[in-house]
Amino acid sequence: MIAEALPGAEVQVLDETGSGDHLRAVVRAPQFEGKSRIDQHRMVRAAVKPRMDDGSIHALSITTRPSR
Amino acid sequence: MAANPELKQKVEEVLRENRVLLFMKGTPEMPQCGFSMRVVGMLEQMGTEYGAIDVLPILDPLREVTGEISDWRTFPQLYVNGDLVGGADIVEEMFESGELAEVLGVEQPEAAAAPAQPDAPANPQQSPPLQVDS
Repeated sequence: MIAEALPGAEVQVLDETGSGDHLRAVVRAPQFEGKSRIDQHRMVRAAVKPRMDDGSIHALSITTRPSR
Repeated sequence: MAANPELKQKVEEVLRENRVLLFMKGTPEMPQCGFSMRVVGMLEQMGTEYGAIDVLPILDPLREVTGEISDWRTFPQLYVNGDLVGGADIVEEMFESGELAEVLGVEQPEAAAAPAQPDAPANPQQSPPLQVDS
């Protein structure tokens, strides 16, 4: 889902509680270049918004990294 | 739901009046949430002056306001010069990297620096080269 919204992104999703709804996403994307962290997080949040809205993800921690 | 215009105006005013402003759950003296507590701890280490607003009494209307102002609805939120810097995750990353000190315009405190190497002697003792009489 995140990789679709941010083509070329490397995405790693960790299930922090084992329940599948508290997730941590580590995202590395070329689109982050030159963006502030807050904007990087906004981009990832926007990508997963439908899943947050329908409640299938309850909590998402985001870590963003610029592309290697 | 649209944000309450009066509250939004009030928030914009407070943002103008406080260079560094933290929206948090509870107060700096008595945070009511672990994430808010972490951000308070980092600001205290930075030794910077900041304003703090307890969001709990007006949580839902305030979410609408920050949603409109900065597209962010969870707390804590740290603002510098009226711009949202981030929530606890972002602030923590920036704290560790030194970016937070930069944004706040303060020196990175010693304690926040990456853990130093364990005390190694400055001039390690070196044994003299082995010599073999030929």
